[in-house]
Amino acid sequence: MGMATANSGGSEGMELCIFDLRRGQQEGQELDKILFFFPADLPFSTQLSVIGLSEGLITFTRIFSPEAACELIEAERHSHVFYEAEPDIWMVMVVEKSKEAEAIWRIDALREVLKEIHSLFMMFYGPVREMLEKDPSGGLTRAHLYPFVMDYLSDFLVGKKTQLPSFRDCLKEFGTVQMLTVGREAAIEVQSLVRVLESGAGATHCYSLILFQDLLVSTTLSPDDTINLFAYAVQRLSPRALSPGASSWSYLRRGSTPSHVVVGPTSATVSVSDQFHHLPATSPSQDNSYHVKRPLQHNRWSKGKDGFLVTDIWGTETGSLIPSTPTIWLQQTGERMYLCAYQYKSLTLILLVPLSSILNGEQGVSLVKQQVLENVRIEGIFPMHVISVENCLSYYTEGLANITYNAPASFSSLHYFITFVETNVTEASLKILKVEEKLSKGWGGENAYHVSGYRYLLIDDDRNVSRASPPAKVTTLAKESLLAMSKLREEVDLEKSRSKWDNADRDKDLEICIRVKNNAWVIARTTRGKQLYMVLERANETLLYASDAFEKFSDRYCGGAFSLD
Amino acid sequence: MSSSDSNSSSVDDPNPNPKPLDNQLETLNLEQGSDSIIIQNDDDEEGRQQDQGSSLNGSLNVNSDNHEQDDRIGLVRNVVWRRTNSEMEVDVNGPSSPSSSGYAGERGSSGVSEDDEIQEVAKDSALHGVFDSQAAWLPGKRHVDEVFSVNMKRKREKQAIIISQSLNSFDLVPSIAITEDDASISWRKRKKHFFILSHSGKPIYSRYGDEHKLAGFSATLQAIISFVENGGDRVKLVRAGKHQVVFLVKGPIYLVCISCTEEPYESLRGQLELIYGQMILILTKSVNRCFEKNPKFDMTPLLGGTDVVFSSLIHSFSWNPATFLHAYTCLPLAYGTRQAAGAILHDVADSGVLFAILMCKHKVVSLVGAQKASLHPDDMLLLSNFIMSSESFRQVKLTFIRLLSFHSFLSLLVPLFITIESLLVMGGSIALKSALPHLSPKRTSESFSPICLPRYNPMAFLYAYVHYLDVDTYLMLLTTSSDAFYHLKDCRIRIEMVLLKSNVLSEVQRSMLDGEMHVEDLPGDPLSRFGSASHLGEHQEPTDSPGRFREPFAGIGGPAGLWHFIYRSIYLEQYVSSEFSAPINSPQQQKRLYRAYQKIYASMHDNGNGPHKTQFRRDENYVLLCWVTPDFELYAAFDPLADKGLAIKTCNRVCQWVKDVENEIFLLGASPFSW
Repeated sequence: MGMATANSGGSEGMELCIFDLRRGQQEGQELDKILFFFPADLPFSTQLSVIGLSEGLITFTRIFSPEAACELIEAERHSHVFYEAEPDIWMVMVVEKSKEAEAIWRIDALREVLKEIHSLFMMFYGPVREMLEKDPSGGLTRAHLYPFVMDYLSDFLVGKKTQLPSFRDCLKEFGTVQMLTVGREAAIEVQSLVRVLESGAGATHCYSLILFQDLLVSTTLSPDDTINLFAYAVQRLSPRALSPGASSWSYLRRGSTPSHVVVGPTSATVSVSDQFHHLPATSPSQDNSYHVKRPLQHNRWSKGKDGFLVTDIWGTETGSLIPSTPTIWLQQTGERMYLCAYQYKSLTLILLVPLSSILNGEQGVSLVKQQVLENVRIEGIFPMHVISVENCLSYYTEGLANITYNAPASFSSLHYFITFVETNVTEASLKILKVEEKLSKGWGGENAYHVSGYRYLLIDDDRNVSRASPPAKVTTLAKESLLAMSKLREEVDLEKSRSKWDNADRDKDLEICIRVKNNAWVIARTTRGKQLYMVLERANETLLYASDAFEKFSDRYCGGAFSLD
Repeated sequence: MSSSDSNSSSVDDPNPNPKPLDNQLETLNLEQGSDSIIIQNDDDEEGRQQDQGSSLNGSLNVNSDNHEQDDRIGLVRNVVWRRTNSEMEVDVNGPSSPSSSGYAGERGSSGVSEDDEIQEVAKDSALHGVFDSQAAWLPGKRHVDEVFSVNMKRKREKQAIIISQSLNSFDLVPSIAITEDDASISWRKRKKHFFILSHSGKPIYSRYGDEHKLAGFSATLQAIISFVENGGDRVKLVRAGKHQVVFLVKGPIYLVCISCTEEPYESLRGQLELIYGQMILILTKSVNRCFEKNPKFDMTPLLGGTDVVFSSLIHSFSWNPATFLHAYTCLPLAYGTRQAAGAILHDVADSGVLFAILMCKHKVVSLVGAQKASLHPDDMLLLSNFIMSSESFRQVKLTFIRLLSFHSFLSLLVPLFITIESLLVMGGSIALKSALPHLSPKRTSESFSPICLPRYNPMAFLYAYVHYLDVDTYLMLLTTSSDAFYHLKDCRIRIEMVLLKSNVLSEVQRSMLDGEMHVEDLPGDPLSRFGSASHLGEHQEPTDSPGRFREPFAGIGGPAGLWHFIYRSIYLEQYVSSEFSAPINSPQQQKRLYRAYQKIYASMHDNGNGPHKTQFRRDENYVLLCWVTPDFELYAAFDPLADKGLAIKTCNRVCQWVKDVENEIFLLGASPFSW
């Protein structure tokens, strides 16, 4: 279509680079700045000119805006989106604009892609800067970045084109988590499952994340780590990601345009893999001396006999055939964790166990897995819990715990020491079955969160959670409505970033209702850290009608958070 | 596009007009010694032209120019440019008027920051605490510290020093001492910069700081632009935190705005377009030829002294809705009065006048164009800005005929002014000072200047005969003929007589006093007029009694929390803006509202996707309602707590109200000449 690029890089219409401003200061050594460049086969002179322009504008804008350097260059044919991932480590994405090719972007959505690349990279490898310090030549970092980013980008490839989030994705929010709404009863079940899981692992600082389909059910991680791990799980671990023939980018990512669908997801993935995974030999970053794990590689996870997901991405332990367990790095605690994922039907349980708590490597890990499932009692490892009477009783009745009544004097009489003991060997597995069953029953399917007559996106900035109309429903909207919504979101993005610079501790309250040329209403409202966007296509023509519809939605689905009174 | 129209209608001024000029005029104190030193208290534009340009003894024969309008060169060649000291002094003296200097000069201003203070002070005193948004503005470059507390005497002494310095240097006017450059923190902290540079990176204009000191910075801008251009693209915008850098490339001329004002990109770009248009108005697009011949051509001399024209335009970006609406506004007048004015303009338009325009400040009283000629609202904006900001058009002089050029030596493209002053200067100054009714015979001045209307024909000069009928009211007769001065003078005399006889000018004065529509006057009883089918419409019939909308207190805003509105007639290319009412009292509040309108305008007129039909926007400052139909656009501002339903009803009533009085607030009806 219209995605011709001026560059020799082929048909992607997109360039992405990562560079370090602290490197390559000497004339003639500029290449040293470049840590990653896509497409890699662009001549160095072209790569350098992209980076030169970026660097120049970073310096230039600091003259006026020392606190925030360049974020965006809009040119007639391209947008350059900047993101300073770590101090002096910049990511710049250059996308071509084209009306015919529907290459109409919302800048913040593109920046979210950059953010996600970086956070996922950090999750697996730690900060880029640390890696550079470990190997000042930069070879190590390049060797990691190149396959990682390429694997990541492959998810956006449809045919030969990179389908980044465009205006058609205006009712999605990257960098957020989508939650499953569960009833009270199911919530209690989930809660107790979490306890069993984390305690069953036998270590003190375990974390868990539970997904149902592509939706988050429960997390004990910090918000940032949750977002990252959730993103990874949805992309690579969820049932949909595992099942062959399905696109791994289900909820958030999958292009919803008919034109995207033309290329079957399967074939796309395959051809992508072919193209991407045979990394060009010319790639500056290919260096066989580094052993690089590629956690984003496709089709490398599968379900083992025991229900745990296995991958050979992390290689095998020396001297054995057992695949090594993946490890990730938590942003909040800076701790390295083993990642154990268990899947039962639509339910995916992810348990993170600190490396430091398991001394004997893979053996230890498989022991933990076993414990989790069997919940075998091991004396001395179970933590003591101080819980309320209520929970105490519920555990007891469920046979999860023995309760000892010898509470020390320092505790109030309402608290008891309990230990988890004597549970049935299959208790945890049973629990998983139970939870899965409950959630499945309560789950309304793909269109569970569809509200008839509305196309919406609800974002909770405080919790990094979003909920939106199902993609299939959003595609029914006219292009005009989507363009208008995308534009409106840009306006709100700008207002939000301004209030950020104004040091406003919270976003301004803002309400915008626009009646578009095609008579649709596009509505945005921000209040107290929440944003609600809505497209009403078949609404009555009056503003009051649209406002009423909006209020009704807010009252019914948002607890009245956006209602005026 | 051209705005058209012919008949009369009257409008109140939306905004208090820009008064700085007037104020300045009023406060102007002319002391005519043998040295003829004029002390101006404000930075006005008074005498700007003189200041800037070296005044010439007019050996130039105007008539000899041929009409090849774009060929300035021919025009000027024969002229011997000579600066007269006395004139210089006069110019320079405007001791306190930075703007006067504005003209001349930034360049080489030897001034120190103190100068700034001086100017500021002067202005301050001149303004007398008059505060409307426009009044607060001082022409000329802005200075770092706007200290108002310095005492006048000291300033005058310093000013004298500065003046002498500036005389010694070649600069004509010391205008503002410009000490800032890109290394100064104060300069970097300016909220809104505008730059014009050439494609070779030579600075042409900078709103702040001395262009010449900004050569390095200018080269950087050029490098950014050409770097992107070399990659086969064209840079439009760079964003960093709250800052936006907006680029506009017009052939060999580059324009850049660096702003943290939160204005939308589209607005800033529109402002750059206008700045470019203003430049074209002064020079025509044929200036490009100079760059073809010599890419390193230095254009600054050509624009020498026009600084104040640009700063006045830039100032209007924060108060004049015409700058983003692309429409003009009329002075509210009784239909008959405007008709009378139109009729006489119409008569002269028969005799080779391309456009005859009678304006009061930035508002049109009447306007007539020759057949098929149409005048774009942007051209009107630029033209009236040029006239109003250039003091030479209204100056009072002893000299009988004088030709001025903005800058002499490279003046191939420079506009010429002929100022004919027939009367007593002293008397004139008194008249100015006391702001006596218009038409004191002593104050007549007339000018004949080449100008270019960028939307009409960017390549050619027209000739503008400009005559101030009173302090605010001026007549512009535009022709293609460079030797039409005496003819136009005759036309003007005829027009003036008719206007006097028919009391048009006194009506104009009265209208200026009355102002524009007041939201408090919004008539009640919407019932009978609006069907529920109206687009903004409510479902239920309004239940309020007609009287209900009358607020108990006048000046507190209109019904339902209505604070202000702007109504733009699409067909007429005219707008009417209500008078500001409480609580939009201070210039800051007015500017903020203006910016909010600008934002909602940009949002409604989204490129490619717009225009949208309706927009309701509520933030912590306002409820804004915008309604765009094929016939009109309405922008209304309400109290942020306003009820949506009532606000909608009120908008409907505003529209009806405007329609009811449209023949007074708009120039209506097709005159045979126009559009």
